[in-house]
Amino acid sequence: MQPKMITLTVNGRKHQVALNPDETLLNALRQLNYTDVKNGCEKGDCGACAVLLNGKAVNSCLVLAWQADGSEILTNAGLGTMDNPHPIQEAFADAGAAQCGYCTPGMIISAKALLDQNPHPSEEEIREAISGNLCRCTGYAQIITAIQIAAERIAASALVGSGQGGKQ
Amino acid sequence: MDHSKFNVLGKATQRKDSVAKVTGSERYSIDIQLPRMIYGRILSSPYAHARIKGVDVQDAEAMGAVCITFDDIPHVRYNERIITIPSVLHKDHFILADKVRRMAEAVAAVAAETEALAEKAVRAIKVEYEPLPVLIDPFQAMQSGAEPIYDTILWGEEEIQVENNIACSRQVEEGDVDQAFAEADVIVEGTFKTPKIYHAQMEPKSVVCRPESDGGLTIWPTTQSIHNVRILLGEIFNIPLSKVNVKRVPIGGTFGSSIQMNSVIPICAALALKARRPVKLTLTREEDMHDHTRYGTWIALKLAAKKDGTLLGAKMELVADIGAHNIQPYSFLGVCVGWLVSLYKLPNVRYRGTAVYTNKAPSCAMQGFGNPQVTFAAETLMDELAEKLGTDSLELRLKNYIGLGDTFWGQGPLVRSIVQSDGVPELLRQGAEIIDWENRPKPGSQSGRFRRGVGLARGFHTSSAGAPQPGDVIDFSGAMVKVNQDGSVDVITALMDHGGGTLDALAKIAAEALCVPLEKVNLAPAETRSTVYDCVTHATRGVYAGGGAVLKAAEGVRQELLETAAHYLNVMPDALTLKLDKQQSQGVVYAPSIPEKRMTISEIATRCWTESWKTIATVESYRPVNCPPAYVTVFVEVEVDTWTGEVRTKRAAMGSDCGTVINPDMAVGQLEGGLSKGMGYALCECNQWEPDGQIASRGYWVDAKTPAIGETPYVQDIHSYFADSYEPSGPFGAKGIGEAATNPVAAAYANAVYNAINIRFYELPITPEVILKAVEEKGQSK
Repeated sequence: MQPKMITLTVNGRKHQVALNPDETLLNALRQLNYTDVKNGCEKGDCGACAVLLNGKAVNSCLVLAWQADGSEILTNAGLGTMDNPHPIQEAFADAGAAQCGYCTPGMIISAKALLDQNPHPSEEEIREAISGNLCRCTGYAQIITAIQIAAERIAASALVGSGQGGKQ
Repeated sequence: MDHSKFNVLGKATQRKDSVAKVTGSERYSIDIQLPRMIYGRILSSPYAHARIKGVDVQDAEAMGAVCITFDDIPHVRYNERIITIPSVLHKDHFILADKVRRMAEAVAAVAAETEALAEKAVRAIKVEYEPLPVLIDPFQAMQSGAEPIYDTILWGEEEIQVENNIACSRQVEEGDVDQAFAEADVIVEGTFKTPKIYHAQMEPKSVVCRPESDGGLTIWPTTQSIHNVRILLGEIFNIPLSKVNVKRVPIGGTFGSSIQMNSVIPICAALALKARRPVKLTLTREEDMHDHTRYGTWIALKLAAKKDGTLLGAKMELVADIGAHNIQPYSFLGVCVGWLVSLYKLPNVRYRGTAVYTNKAPSCAMQGFGNPQVTFAAETLMDELAEKLGTDSLELRLKNYIGLGDTFWGQGPLVRSIVQSDGVPELLRQGAEIIDWENRPKPGSQSGRFRRGVGLARGFHTSSAGAPQPGDVIDFSGAMVKVNQDGSVDVITALMDHGGGTLDALAKIAAEALCVPLEKVNLAPAETRSTVYDCVTHATRGVYAGGGAVLKAAEGVRQELLETAAHYLNVMPDALTLKLDKQQSQGVVYAPSIPEKRMTISEIATRCWTESWKTIATVESYRPVNCPPAYVTVFVEVEVDTWTGEVRTKRAAMGSDCGTVINPDMAVGQLEGGLSKGMGYALCECNQWEPDGQIASRGYWVDAKTPAIGETPYVQDIHSYFADSYEPSGPFGAKGIGEAATNPVAAAYANAVYNAINIRFYELPITPEVILKAVEEKGQSK
């Protein structure tokens, strides 16, 4: 089969790329220099390559790039910047949840998918949300703590936000 | 330790690389992209043991791929790990296999414009193999008549025969063992088996090599030691070391997996030299699983004791499955007896260790380097001994452990030191309180489906392999500290941080020594040509030895600051001191008796610059002359489901004596990570080899059973705590923590499972299947 032009909108930026049918979304994104999408196993085992595909967390190594044609993709790097990290990213930094950091982008994507759906998760729900993400360094405890901190901070800023909204 | 006298040590701070890591900006080796870079792939052998009769790369080359085979590489035999001194180093490895000795060993390699083309090209290579009998069991491999995996290897520069696939052996005897056993009132013994598990570091081993116009190479590898990679590449390719520049790249976990120069590095270098273009080479996860593992061991251990619980002596026989290559088994055999005699006072010991080649992944260090294996055996027997004597196993441990003032030789017979800091009693007492040790179940007292058990094990790891004499293992660090014109400080060291926060600890040590705010200390990017030697981040030595080097350099800078300020202020150097001026947010040199005689560090550095005098900087090497034990005690409470065989962790108390705690949050992270990895080792992780040398998981990580969140205890059920301890030989009283946190965990689990169901297990992992079978057999026997 011949390569096909597909459109991937990644972190708000539109890319048109010609790709073979056997190319995974993971490889396509990494070739576009989204190296925050980590290659851990290419078998769907570890979750390091997780991205949000139309709002849903997926292992990008298990999605063919063609399947993502026309989709909106959010990677960890699209959540925040070094100068202005996303609250989940900030909480990971504050809680010591990133040791080697290799699982971190995928872990944060799973956390983002959870908090988008469930802003006040229990520890049980957090555990379920990151059950597809392996981490060998931390033993997971500080990751759970980070997600709890992030949930609290997002909720608090939403309160502040709605308060300001009321004044306008 | 009272941390209030410190400016920055003992305070939790956001680590310097955390924002890069959490925003995905951190670039690991696998993420490096260079102009004109092409992609490498290895041809992995489909056999675990085979002669290579011929390799035909014609079709691959016709696709435009650059190919290398055994004929294209320097025929230099080497050892991937050069921490043992050259004269006694075993060398059996070529860049590409001269003969296949394990599954997925690299027989040839290609580099091509795209990853897809490289894959296509590597598949087009035709190899004619002559399969040989595969040896996966070390006892079979040792039998006379077994297929030889090697005929000869190098020992130093001498070619030696390999007999019965035995790579090396080691005997140690101290005291009068026969008398000790003759005088014993009680002897306990067991034969223990531990698995060859996978490191499961998150980043697959990877490297980028760029050939330079001067004939040299620039390398971006996954490694724990940039200098050892440089020395090896220089030796293998006969390139002057000044032309081999190895960059320090953040590493996506290691746990020992990159302690040696990884197999991909010289292959990639050979491809780059042939292609004259930068090449990236990354292992697939499956290839990575075949590349290195922990040492599998069989340990027959006997302990002799008096009625009052005093240990008299030990006999230990150990067989190590080293897999297809010799990475460091001679040292491994030495430290294994070292771990035993440094856990408890065993003045009389007889030991024989044998390291055996098999057609499996090469064994290398994996957190603990034999310590988790030996501690599992020793701490199981300590529990049994306590039960036999009718005494509390905690008290038995306290009575016999190696502590303050005792000589110990954890890193082997040639590496002896005296214990100068000891938080063990405090750790045991505090953990016992947290876990309610007094009220633990009595073995055999429970029935019903769910049974609760409490287990205890203690252990340690040495902080470095330092000793008063040189020995046969290289262990020293180096660092440069330099003051910039604005008073900021650069710390330049080749030390690797595996993710545990080691480099942040070094920055804090520099900040503390120079009385500057932590944010003014910069960790400079490192490469071999602009750093002094640091052996490798291993042996729980990063903070203790790497930090020791930074402290030594910082003290030189401090002295120079005082002397330079003395010159400018017209005050005797001895009348001056340094302090942190929090308002000015910088270090200040001043004379306490004449307070107006003061200069900030930036004023001193700026004046040295504008008056064309000098840069204030110091470079130092540091050889630790001790390797103090970093103690850890582990209490776990488990619940065993006797219907499913599952073991759930209900609570854990992880206590550490790491001396002064430098990064409190990251030290907790080390303990929690140690608990997770130790639990995996105890209960689930297993690499099973099939008779043909294939691994049963086929490279699927989940099937290798690396613990995920589901197996992990709840946050509030993990209690981490630290002893009030100060190590006189360490930087600001610090010693190590990393490997110590894993070493006793598996033993604690085994003891907890026994406490719950009254069945002893002598083999890891204690999987649900194993438990179910044992419970069933016990029921039938009744």
